[in-house]
Amino acid sequence: MVDFGYGISPSSRLDLDKFDRKTFDLLVAEEPDVKKCIACGSCTAVCAAGKFVPTSLRSAILAIQNGLPDKALELLKPCQLCGKCTLVCPREINTRHLILSIIKIYSAK
Amino acid sequence: MTGLLNILCLLTVNPDSIPEVIDRIPSGYNHFVIPFLVGITFMLIWITVGLIRLLSNLTREDRIKLLLSWINPVIAWKNVRDLFCDCLFHVKIWKRKPLLGYMHSSIAFGWFMLIVLGHIEVALFVPKHLSFSEGALFYPIFYRFFVWMNPAHVALRGSFFFFLMDFFLLYVLSGIGLAVFKRFRSIVLGMRHTTKPSLADRIALYSLWLIFPLRLLAESFTADLSGGSFLTIPVNHLWHLIFGEKLWIMPVWWAYSISLGLFFVTMPFSRYMHILTEVLWILLRNAGIKPRHPRKGVAEAEIYACSSCGLCLDACPMNVQKKNLKYSSVYFIRFLRRKNEKKIDQIADKCLMCDKCHVLCPVSVDAPALRRVQRTTVNNHLPYDLSYLKAPIVQAGGSWSESLPMDSLKSGSNMESSAPEAVASDKVLYFAGCMSHLTPRIIKSVETIFKKSGVDYVFADRDGGICCGRPLMLAGKTDAAAKTIAANKEMIEKSGCKKLILSCPICYKVFKEDYHLEGIEIQHYTQFVNDLVNSGRLKPAQSSERLVYHDPCELGRGCQVYDEPRAVLGQVGELVSAAKERDESICCGGSLGSLTLDARDRAKITESSVSNLLANKPQTIVTACPLCLKTFAEAAPDSVHVKDFAEIVCSSLE
Amino acid sequence: MKNNVLIIGGGPAGIEASAQLQRLGYNVILIEKGSSLGGHLSKWDRLFPDGVHADGVLSSMLKNMSGVKSFTDTQVKSINRLDKSYNVILSNGISVLADAVLLASGFTLFRAEKKEEYGYGIYDHVITNADLEAYFSIGSDSRIDKPKKIGFVHCVGSRDEKAGCRACSKVCCATAVKQACEMKEEFPDAEVYCFYMDLRMFGRHYEDLYLKAQKEYGVRFIRGRVAEVSENADGSLQVKAEDTFSSKPLKVTLDLLVLMAGMRPSDAGRRVGDLLGMSVEEDGFFAVRDSVTSNQRSPLPGVFLAGTATGPKTLPETIADARGASMEIDRYLTDVFPQASDYKKLIREKW
Repeated sequence: MVDFGYGISPSSRLDLDKFDRKTFDLLVAEEPDVKKCIACGSCTAVCAAGKFVPTSLRSAILAIQNGLPDKALELLKPCQLCGKCTLVCPREINTRHLILSIIKIYSAK
Repeated sequence: MTGLLNILCLLTVNPDSIPEVIDRIPSGYNHFVIPFLVGITFMLIWITVGLIRLLSNLTREDRIKLLLSWINPVIAWKNVRDLFCDCLFHVKIWKRKPLLGYMHSSIAFGWFMLIVLGHIEVALFVPKHLSFSEGALFYPIFYRFFVWMNPAHVALRGSFFFFLMDFFLLYVLSGIGLAVFKRFRSIVLGMRHTTKPSLADRIALYSLWLIFPLRLLAESFTADLSGGSFLTIPVNHLWHLIFGEKLWIMPVWWAYSISLGLFFVTMPFSRYMHILTEVLWILLRNAGIKPRHPRKGVAEAEIYACSSCGLCLDACPMNVQKKNLKYSSVYFIRFLRRKNEKKIDQIADKCLMCDKCHVLCPVSVDAPALRRVQRTTVNNHLPYDLSYLKAPIVQAGGSWSESLPMDSLKSGSNMESSAPEAVASDKVLYFAGCMSHLTPRIIKSVETIFKKSGVDYVFADRDGGICCGRPLMLAGKTDAAAKTIAANKEMIEKSGCKKLILSCPICYKVFKEDYHLEGIEIQHYTQFVNDLVNSGRLKPAQSSERLVYHDPCELGRGCQVYDEPRAVLGQVGELVSAAKERDESICCGGSLGSLTLDARDRAKITESSVSNLLANKPQTIVTACPLCLKTFAEAAPDSVHVKDFAEIVCSSLE
Repeated sequence: MKNNVLIIGGGPAGIEASAQLQRLGYNVILIEKGSSLGGHLSKWDRLFPDGVHADGVLSSMLKNMSGVKSFTDTQVKSINRLDKSYNVILSNGISVLADAVLLASGFTLFRAEKKEEYGYGIYDHVITNADLEAYFSIGSDSRIDKPKKIGFVHCVGSRDEKAGCRACSKVCCATAVKQACEMKEEFPDAEVYCFYMDLRMFGRHYEDLYLKAQKEYGVRFIRGRVAEVSENADGSLQVKAEDTFSSKPLKVTLDLLVLMAGMRPSDAGRRVGDLLGMSVEEDGFFAVRDSVTSNQRSPLPGVFLAGTATGPKTLPETIADARGASMEIDRYLTDVFPQASDYKKLIREKW
């Protein structure tokens, strides 16, 4: 094998093999609607905290599915649980509960 | 037998020399009292141990608070009043369901009076038996077994007491009759759902039911010896008619004692512990001590004060679907007693926090607060990052966040308006809150009202702002909420405003109770508009549109604001009432309080809330909360309009 | 004796089917609840993807209708089955013994006031796709005032459980791109944005339209659902969405916002359907006999469906559907009516 690349920085490619199925199944047991997300971005658009700091439920779900659970946690820590996202979600996901569940499950492991 | 002979001998001597009442059984004891003694001793030890443990679990400052509350005359009077009104007379139940109130109070007050009068009787006629060694524990209970009434010497005082005892016995028996009937047809007493009793509940219940009929049986069996009145004497004659001269009194007294003993033995494990615990709970509650843990300390008194009466079952809006009965407060408290963590969590997360069960509880057990405390134990330690909460300056005309160019600052305030007399003297800060941004007609209407009444205002979060912090509190993240509150508080106090107007009841409640804003008057927009109308700065025109007003949970039960919106709406249209309103209003179903309730269940709650509002056929539903507005607007039938309070006031100004 | 065919609904589907059935030799009666024929087509300006004028299409369709008895301002009062036919009493007093009924009741536009966060009916410069078509036909709308920045919001009332409609309304994406191009033609200096969740350019030439919108007109396409709109003091709109491609929330100030309201089943159609006892599916549109091979037949014998009454369709699809329904009706009538004695058995086995 020829070793291309520049050695120091790791690949910035998303590695779907890193996806943690077991923890995700715990999340699904707690809030099954996480599978319904169509990534429309409504939640991020209305987020009260989103104006000041990067926080996005859509990105968090994406991060979990892309095998980056720590990024998901960082994205959800600023959440104020205000509930605006739940009011606008077109797939009727209980986003507040989903955020709490993600924080609970992914900070515990 | 010997006793009777003794009496007959004495009688032949001189009737007048014999006192009114004497010990038929000089020893003052009979074996039949053993079951009762066992029961009551067990129960007394149990509650003493429990009381000591509970008080030791209180923090030092709470204990001091408790002691001080007993010296404070206001609180002491409240204690006395609550003990009589809540524990004995069940006034809270009478007010809403009279027959049910009669049932509960007859058993409580009746039994209380039987015990008190029994002790007074002993004190008057055979006072030596009030000492512990002479059987003070059981003698007054079984008074009518142990004494013999001198028929030649019955005074008015004696017959008065006999009358009272019989009267209260009949009073209790009527309540027991209703209680038995309630098991079969609870709806007659006004309860659609009743609590499912546990095994201990059942044993205690059935033995409680037996106590008083057995008492009647026993006392009527000895009525010709001990004396009686309008109830026991005729029944006594009946027994003589059936059984003849000789009556076997011992079996019935044994049965009476056993039923009492059984009741007291099972009492600590059943719902009937509330009889004694609610006294302690009332004292703790009136002293202002709040539960810090859902099970330990004060909460223990609270959860044992719950009598499983089941009034919260009909109160809970979720119970429009039978499958949600298991989330009701009465079962939550049962699981708290049993320490079933999984169920406790599940129930705690479901609650809408509408507070109706708390309002309807006869002993004011605050189950939603216990649920919030439970949520805190689970959610408060979860990681959060609110470091972005700095405190930017709110300038005179500015909005929340980063400094804006001067021309956009003009957009919020009315400062450059025409005539000086049109501008109000106080500066008003309007905070719309998160939800109002998704119901823009509220914002537009409120701003129009401000402009038309000449109010000098600043729209604090025109470009969106931080949440008020209450949703974090409701979810149990009290530390994060405290940080948010601190940041917002700094901003508001720096703005220089004297009045803060909210259009969302959730915001209003938290600003009023938890922010402690010095020198700033906080009003919900319904109250502000009411003031404007009363002072003549706003002149709504009356129309004939039939309106019904929905009391939002956080504004009505949460803050006791019921009258101001109605006062204004009465001048805008024809206000009709809903089937249940004010503190009995039904939650719209959109509440942020629930963490896990799904959309379908919420839709059912909304449906029941809407049909409650449409009882008197209004044309328009009016609410004063953006969440209620959004929920009803999406769910109401097309034949009914749904409008916001500010919106309808605005349209009546044109 | 010619068979009677009653067509309920005078939109494109009803008009086309009536022309076809008349040509096949049947006695066609067409009723329309509005005051003129044409349905929604009569209110449109130009059609996608090629910009054909709607009024031209409509007039050529109406020309083929000679011989058809059509009644406007007429609705069904009552309808019940009598042996092989339907006895229908109309609101103008006439009663028809229809051997076959074609329900072409079409669609109703989603009421955009229900999505309150967009501010339709509250703010001064928010309109729907239908309002915009009307603007192009008539030439003026008080809400359109020399806009310099225009936004199109896709999926208003579609793909939205909160609005009570999970389904996609199919045609709004193509309509939005078309209208975006038209706005650029009308206001060449304006900046036009399309906020979408997915861009459904499924038909022939649709991708070409999309390419044209990007290349020739410079329409900006942003993948992110508009979730909140607020109004500035001067009446301009502050729109909030997320640019999901860069994962950042965005805001932009616009002078005009066009909401692409979706297709909902027609209320009047529902009323007639209830009179007939027609079943509807979860999305509210009428149920068909088989969604692959039998889309123009309803589960009821002798009742047929065409057009958007069975779900969102483009205009060419509606016309084809109407022609298909005409074929089905012809087959049914020639099969069933000559053999009167075996009617019940025939209905059970084949129809």
